Amino acid sequence: MKKTSTENELRKPPDFAIFFTVLILVGFGLVMVFSASYILSLESRGDPFFFLRRQAFWVVLGLAGMIAASNIGYWKWRKLVLPMLVVNFILLGAVYIPGIGIEINEASRWIGVGGFSIQPAEFSKLALIIFSAAFLSRKNIRIENFWSSSFIPLAFTGGTFLLILAQPDLGTALALALIVGIMVFAAGIPWKQLISLLFVSTPLVLYLMISKEYRMRRIFSFLDPWSDPLDTGYHIIQSLYALGPGGLFGVGLGRSRQKLYYLPEPQNDFIFAIIGEELGFLGAATVILLFFILIWRGFKTSLTAPDSYGSLLAAGVTAMVAVQALINIGVVTGSIPITGINLPFISAGGSSLFFTMFGMGILMNISRYSR
Amino acid sequence: MARDSASNLTVRRRLLLVFILMCMLLGALLFRLGWIQFAMAEELQQKAWEQWNRSIPARSSRGNIYDRSDNLLAGSATAETVVAIPPQVEDPFFSARALAPVLEMSEERIHELITQDRAAVYVQRKVDEEVAKEVRLLNLPGITFTHETKRFYPNNNLLSQLLGFVGMDQGWGGLEIYYEDVLKGRDGNIVFPTDARGREIPGVRRFIPPKEGKDLYLTIDETIQFIVERELNRAMVEYSPERVMALAVNPQTGELLAASSKPDFNPNHYNQFDERFWRLFPVTDTFEPGSTFKLITLSAAVEENLYRQEEPYFCAGHVTVAGHTIRCWTSHKGGHGSIDFKEAVLSSCNPAFIVLGERLGPQRLFEYVRAFGFGSLTGIDYLGEGKGLVFKPEQVGPLELATSSFGQGISVTPLQQVMAVSAIANGGYLLRPHVVKEIRDPDGQVVSKSSREVIRQVISADTSRQVSLIMEGVIKEGSGVNAYIEGYRIAGKTGTAQKVGPEGNYIPGEYILSFIGFAPLEDPQILLYVAVDGAKRGPQWGSQVSAPLFRNIMKDVLSYLEIMPTELPDEEELHVVEVPDLKGLTVDEAGALLDTSGLLLKVIGSEGVIKDQAPKAKASVPLQTGIIVYLDDLWTDEDPEEVQMPNLIGLTMQETAEVLGRLGLKMEPSGSGIAVEQEPEPGIKVRKNSLIKVHFSSPQD
Repeated sequence: MKKTSTENELRKPPDFAIFFTVLILVGFGLVMVFSASYILSLESRGDPFFFLRRQAFWVVLGLAGMIAASNIGYWKWRKLVLPMLVVNFILLGAVYIPGIGIEINEASRWIGVGGFSIQPAEFSKLALIIFSAAFLSRKNIRIENFWSSSFIPLAFTGGTFLLILAQPDLGTALALALIVGIMVFAAGIPWKQLISLLFVSTPLVLYLMISKEYRMRRIFSFLDPWSDPLDTGYHIIQSLYALGPGGLFGVGLGRSRQKLYYLPEPQNDFIFAIIGEELGFLGAATVILLFFILIWRGFKTSLTAPDSYGSLLAAGVTAMVAVQALINIGVVTGSIPITGINLPFISAGGSSLFFTMFGMGILMNISRYSR
Repeated sequence: MARDSASNLTVRRRLLLVFILMCMLLGALLFRLGWIQFAMAEELQQKAWEQWNRSIPARSSRGNIYDRSDNLLAGSATAETVVAIPPQVEDPFFSARALAPVLEMSEERIHELITQDRAAVYVQRKVDEEVAKEVRLLNLPGITFTHETKRFYPNNNLLSQLLGFVGMDQGWGGLEIYYEDVLKGRDGNIVFPTDARGREIPGVRRFIPPKEGKDLYLTIDETIQFIVERELNRAMVEYSPERVMALAVNPQTGELLAASSKPDFNPNHYNQFDERFWRLFPVTDTFEPGSTFKLITLSAAVEENLYRQEEPYFCAGHVTVAGHTIRCWTSHKGGHGSIDFKEAVLSSCNPAFIVLGERLGPQRLFEYVRAFGFGSLTGIDYLGEGKGLVFKPEQVGPLELATSSFGQGISVTPLQQVMAVSAIANGGYLLRPHVVKEIRDPDGQVVSKSSREVIRQVISADTSRQVSLIMEGVIKEGSGVNAYIEGYRIAGKTGTAQKVGPEGNYIPGEYILSFIGFAPLEDPQILLYVAVDGAKRGPQWGSQVSAPLFRNIMKDVLSYLEIMPTELPDEEELHVVEVPDLKGLTVDEAGALLDTSGLLLKVIGSEGVIKDQAPKAKASVPLQTGIIVYLDDLWTDEDPEEVQMPNLIGLTMQETAEVLGRLGLKMEPSGSGIAVEQEPEPGIKVRKNSLIKVHFSSPQD
C-alpha cells in the first residue's frame, strides 16, 4: 500500500499533549509513591527510598518504551499479532511454573527472576488490544456476521480472561473484558448482538462475583462499609478517612496520617486516597483532569486516525487507561466494589507502568498520522 | 472505499459515545470526590480523629474519709500498675516467661495481653511495691508502669461496714458507694496521636487534667467507735453469739457517733471475708424490737393522757386476747399481782402494755408508731437501709394490737429504734440521722455541711421528759439495773425479742437481747443501742447480757466525752445487794429472779439445775457483781474424782481461778485480760488436780 512508500512524508510530530500529560502523571506518581511509602519502607526495609527507586527504574524503562513505541510505525504490530498471542498464553501459563512463577498471598500473578518481576496480565491487555484492532479492521470483515468477526477477539479474550481469573485476579480480568468490549462496540457490533452478548455475559459476571462468599461480602461492603469496619469495610473506611480530612487543600505533602499503617500499602491501589489527603480536593481533581486530558487526546487520535486499524488501536489503548483510572478512583471513593486495579502512571507498579506507557507510545505514534 | 466510509461513520459515532460516557463517569467521580471532601468531611474528620488519637486515663485521686476530729479513716496511696505497650514489646514469649512468676500470672495470659493490637494494656493493676521493683529489674522493652491510687484503711476492721470499700475502680459498699460521685472526682486523660499500630507519633499531646475527689468528714467519733468495737469484740467472746451490734448517736442532732456489728471485715482485704459481713446490720437488717418498743406505746399513752403512774393495776401473769393467752414474764410465779402502772412499766409487764394499747386503739397507736418513723426509711446517707414492716391500721385486730403494744409482730431496724428513742430524749423531735458532717474540696474549702434536720415533732417536750424519767426508773429500780453507772442519771430499756425463723414462726430458745438508752438525763449527749443476737452462752435475758454491754460502753464514752457525774453516791442500799439463793433453780428461773436485782449471772456447766453458787446466798455484794453458778452436769455420779471440763472463755482471771478452785483443778495462766483459750476443751472429763492451761487476752487484739 501507499503507507510504506509515503510514511515518511505523512509523518507529523506526535501529539505532545499526550506525552506531557503522561509525563506529569508519572512525575506526580513518583512524588506520591515516595510520600506514601517512605515511612513504611524505612521501617520494613530500613530504606526509605526502596519504592521510589523501583518506581524510578520502571519510569525510566517506561519512558524508553514509550519513546521507542512512538517511533515505531503502529501497523508493524499488526504483523506480530500471532506471536504476541502465543507469548501471551505462554506467559500466563508460566506463572504456575516453579522457579519462574511467583506466588504472593496465594495468588500467582507474577513471573520473574531475582528482583525483576512482571505481571503477564499487563502484557495480555496490550496484546489483545493489538490483536482485536488488527482483526476487527481486516478488509473483508463483515461486522454483521458475529461468528466470523466480533466473536474471534471475544473468544481469545475469553480464554485469557479465564487464565487471569484463575490466578486469581478478577479485577484485571474484568478490566480486560471491558477494554475489548469497548473495542468491539466501537468497531460497530450491531446493537442486537451487543444486547445478546450482555444477556449472556452479565449473569456470568454476576455468578463470578457472588460464587465465592468472601468476594460477595467484599463486593457489597462498599454500600455500607461501617457494617463490617474491621474486615470487608476496612479499606473503604480507611480510604474515606484519608479523603475526608483532606478537604480542599489537603493536610500537606508528606503529612498523611492514613499512610501510617491505617491504609495498607498506601503506595499501591489506594494512592489516590493519599493524594486526596495530602493535596486535598485540588490535588485529586487535578489528577482526574489529567486523565480527562489523556482520554480526550486519545479519542481525538482515534477519531482522526488514518485507518480503522489505527482508530481501533488508539481507542483500545485509551480505553485501557480510562477503564483502569475510572475503576481505581471509583474504588477509592467508595463508589464501586473493591477490585484490585491500580491507578495508571501513579500507583507503584512495575510492568503495569511499563506496558501502560508503552501503550501511550503507540497512541502517540498513531497521532503522527492523523488526518 | 464506500463501504469503508459508511462503516467509519458508525465507528466514529460509537467512539464519540464511549468518549462521552467516560467523560460523564469522570464527572460523576469528581462530584463524588467533592462530596466526600466537603459534605462528608466533618463527619469523616471526626471519626478519623478518634482513630488517630489514643488516650491514657489520668485517674483522679479519690477523696479521703475522716472522722469528726480529722482522724483519717480511709485514704488513697499511689500504687503502680504494670502496663504493656504491645508495639514496643520485642519478644513477647520471653517477656511473658519472665513476668509470669513475678506477677503470679500464667504465661499464656500475659502473652495474650502483651500481644494485643492496642496502644497500651494493663498487665496487672495496683501491684505491691516489691513486685513493681522486681518487674523494673527485669527491664523488659515495652513493659512500663503507670501510677494509680489504691485505697487503704489505716484502722483495718474499725468502722468497716459503714465505710465500705473500693474495688478496682469504684466504691462497692457503705459510704464509699453512697458518696462515690463526691469521692471519685472525674478522670482526666492524656490524648496523643498514634499510627495504626498504636505507636505514638510526634504531634501535640493534649492533657485534660483530672478533677480530684472531695473529702468526707464524718460525724463518727473514732474513739467512741473504738470503745464500741472493743466491747462488741469482748461480747463476741463472752456470749459466743451469732452477731452483736451497736449504734451510737447524738440524740440532739441526729449525728451518728459510732456504728458497728460483728462479725465484720477488713476493707483492705474485703474479698477474704464473707459478703454477709459487709453489711452494717443495725442499719440494714430488720427484726422484732421486743420490749424496747414499749417506749413507743408508753410515749403515745402519756401524750394522750391515758397513763397515770399511780393508777392501780393487777397482773395475773397472763391475759386472754381474742382467744389467745398472752403471758407476762412473771407468769411462773403467778404474775406481778397488785401493783400500780409505774411498777408495771418499770418491770416491763406485758399485760399492762396491752391495756395501754387498747386504750389508744389501733388507729392512734399506729399513728404514733408511724410518726416515730417506723415503717419508713430514716433517710440516713447509707445505701441499703432497711424499712421494716408495720401493720396498717385496717389490718390490726385485737391480737395484733395487743402484741404490737409490747413490740411483737412488727419488724424494725435498730436505727429506726435509735431515732425514735432520740425523739424521746430530745424533747419530742424525730430527726434524720446522718453520717457525713462536712464535704470539703481538695483545698480544704467546705463544700457542703450537714445540719440537724427535723422530720417532725412526735410528742411534746413534757411527754418527752416524763418518759425519760420512767426510763431512768428502769435503770434505777427495774430490769436495767445492770446498766447503772455510778453518779450518772441514765435512761434505758431492755429488750428481749424472740427470733423469727424463715417460716415466720418463732425459733425456740433464740433471742435478740437488746438495750437502748441515753445519758446524761439532764441533757442527753449520747444515745446508745446494743444488741446480742443468738447468744450461745449465758442466760437469755437482756438484763444479764445487753445491759452490762451497754454499761461498759456508756461508762467509757461518758468519761471520754468528759461528762461529769452529777449524783453523789448516797443511796447505800441501791449499791449493795443481797445475793439470793439460786440452788435448785434452772438457769432461766435464776435469770428471771436476778432480772431487776443488779446481779450478773455467770453460768458454768451446760445443763441441769444449779448445784452451787459463789458468792453464797445472803452475802451482801456490790451492784453488778457476777454470781457464778455451777450446774449439776459438771460432776459425774460414777467417779467423784472426775469432773467435766467447763467452758471458761470470757471469764476474767479471777473468775477462772474461782471456778477451777471450786472444781478442784489447777490453773496454768498466760497473758492477761479475759480467757480466750483453754486446754483441755470444754466437755472433756478431767481428773481432779489436773493442770488446766488458760490463755487470757484483751479481745481488741
